[in-house]
Amino acid sequence: MTGTVDWLRRYGALLRAAWLQDLQYRASIVLWLLWGVTEPAVALGIWWAIAADGPVQGYARADFARYFFALMLVNQLTIAWDSWYLDSWIRDGELNFRLARPIHPAHEAVAENIAYKARTAGMILVVWLIVAAVWPAVRLPFGADRWALTAAAVLLAAALRFFISFATGLLAFWTTRATAIMELHAGISLFLSGRLAPLALLPPAVARVAGFLWFPYMLAFPVDLLTGTVHGAALVQGFVGQVVWLAVWVGAYRLAWTRGLRKYGAVGG
Amino acid sequence: MKLRILAALWRLNVAEELQYRANLVASLLGTIFWIGTALLTLAVFFRHTTRLGDWDYWEVVVLLGVFNTLTGVIEAVLRPGIGRLAGEVKSGGLDLVLAKPVDAQGFVSFRRLDVWRLTDVVLGLALAGYALVRLHHVPTVAQLAAFGLALTAAVVVVYALWVALMSLAFWFVSVENLSVLFDAVYEGARYPVSAYPGALRFVFVYLIPIAWTTTIPASALTGRLEPGFALVAAAVAALAFALTRLLWRTALKRYSGASG
Repeated sequence: MTGTVDWLRRYGALLRAAWLQDLQYRASIVLWLLWGVTEPAVALGIWWAIAADGPVQGYARADFARYFFALMLVNQLTIAWDSWYLDSWIRDGELNFRLARPIHPAHEAVAENIAYKARTAGMILVVWLIVAAVWPAVRLPFGADRWALTAAAVLLAAALRFFISFATGLLAFWTTRATAIMELHAGISLFLSGRLAPLALLPPAVARVAGFLWFPYMLAFPVDLLTGTVHGAALVQGFVGQVVWLAVWVGAYRLAWTRGLRKYGAVGG
Repeated sequence: MKLRILAALWRLNVAEELQYRANLVASLLGTIFWIGTALLTLAVFFRHTTRLGDWDYWEVVVLLGVFNTLTGVIEAVLRPGIGRLAGEVKSGGLDLVLAKPVDAQGFVSFRRLDVWRLTDVVLGLALAGYALVRLHHVPTVAQLAAFGLALTAAVVVVYALWVALMSLAFWFVSVENLSVLFDAVYEGARYPVSAYPGALRFVFVYLIPIAWTTTIPASALTGRLEPGFALVAAAVAALAFALTRLLWRTALKRYSGASG
C-alpha cells in the first residue's frame, strides 16, 4: 500500500511541476493548439464542399462536422511530442541528469503529457460547447456508457501514441534522423489513422491495410466511438486491436531503451 | 539592403551548405514524400467528387505545384531568416542585428539561404508543368507572363504575412513559436479558395490574403483568370508590402534590447 501512496506523491509532484512549466508557456501552447486544429478544420472545409450535393457514402455534412470536431478533441488528447524531446535530450546530453534521478525519465514525460492535455483539451471542450450551442450539427448524442467506453479508448490511444513516440524518439541513440522518421510516421498516419477522412471513405484496399496496422487505433477508433458509429463486433475488435498494439509498442520501447542505454555514451561521457 | 551584401551573405551560406551534401538527398526525399502525400490526399477527395470548388483534379495539381514552389522559398529563405526573429526578440539577440549598418528588416529577412530547399521550387514548377500537360493546356505567352507576375506577387504576399506575424513578437515577447501561426494560416492555401464556405473565402481574399499566394497564380496559368488580373495581384502585393513595412517600423519602436 505504501508503494501506491509513494507513487501518488511522486506523480503529484511531477504533475505540479509540469503544470507550472506549461503555465509559463501558455501563449505558445495556444499557438500549438491552433496549429493542431487547422489540419482537421481545412479537411472539414473540403468535405463540407464535397458533400454539398448530398451525402458521401452515407456521410452527410453534419456527420463530417461531428467527425472532425471529435477528431480535433481526440487528437489533442492523444498527441505525443515525446520523440522530439527525447531526440534533443539524447543529442544534447540532457538525458544525463534525468538518468541520475531516482525515477525513470518516462514518468516525467507521462506527467508532462497529462498536464499538457488537460489544459489543451479543456480549451477545445470549451470552444466545442460554445460552437455546439449555436450549431446543432456538432452536438453529440449523450450516453453514459458510450462516453465511458470512449474514455477508455482515448486512454488506450494516448498510451499507444505515447509509446510509439517514445520508442521512435529513442532511435536518436543510433541516428540523427529520429524526428524525420516520426514525421514519416505522421505522413502515413494522415491517411491510415483517419486524420484526412473517415476510414470508410478511403479506397477499400487502403482501409484494409490500415486494419492490419496500429494506425486506426491511434485516432479513428476512439473518434468513431465518440461520434457513435461503432457497434457490436467492431467495438470489441477495436479494443482488442488497441490492447494488442499497445503491448507491441511497449515491447519495442523496452527493447530500444535497454539496448540504447547500453550504447549511450553521453556528451562528455 | 544593398545587393552586394546580400550576395556576400548568400555566397557564404551556399559554401557552408555545400559541405553537407547528404542534406540535398534528405531534402529531395522529403519533398518527394510531401508531394506524394499531397497527391494521395487529392486522390481521396476526388474519389468522391469530380470538382473541388469548381476546379478539376489537374487544375488543383497545378495549384499544388505553386504551393510547393512557395514552400521552397519559405523554407530556403524566410523560415531560417525572419522565422528566428521571435527567439531573438526574447533573448535580445536582435541587438546584434540592429547594431549593423544595414536595413534591419532586410537583414533579418534575407540573411540566410538554405540552398537545398530550392529543390522544392524546381519540383513545384515541374509538377505544375506536368499538370498542364495532363490538362492539355498550352499556356499563351500572355498567360505565362501573368503567371510570372502573379507568382512574384505571391512571394511578396507570403513574405508580408511572415513579417506581419513575426512582428507580433515585439508585443508578445514570450511566445517563441510564433512561426507556427504562419503554418496554420498557410495550411488553407493548399486548395483553391473557391472550395471554402463564403465567409472563409472572404477572409482569405481580403483579411489574411492567402488566396493571392496559390489560387491566383494557378488561375493565371490555367487561363481561369484574364491575364490582366495579374496587375491586381501585383497591386495587392505592393499594398501588403507597404503595410508590413509600416508595421515593422511601429513594432521595432517597442524593442528595448537585451537590457530592457
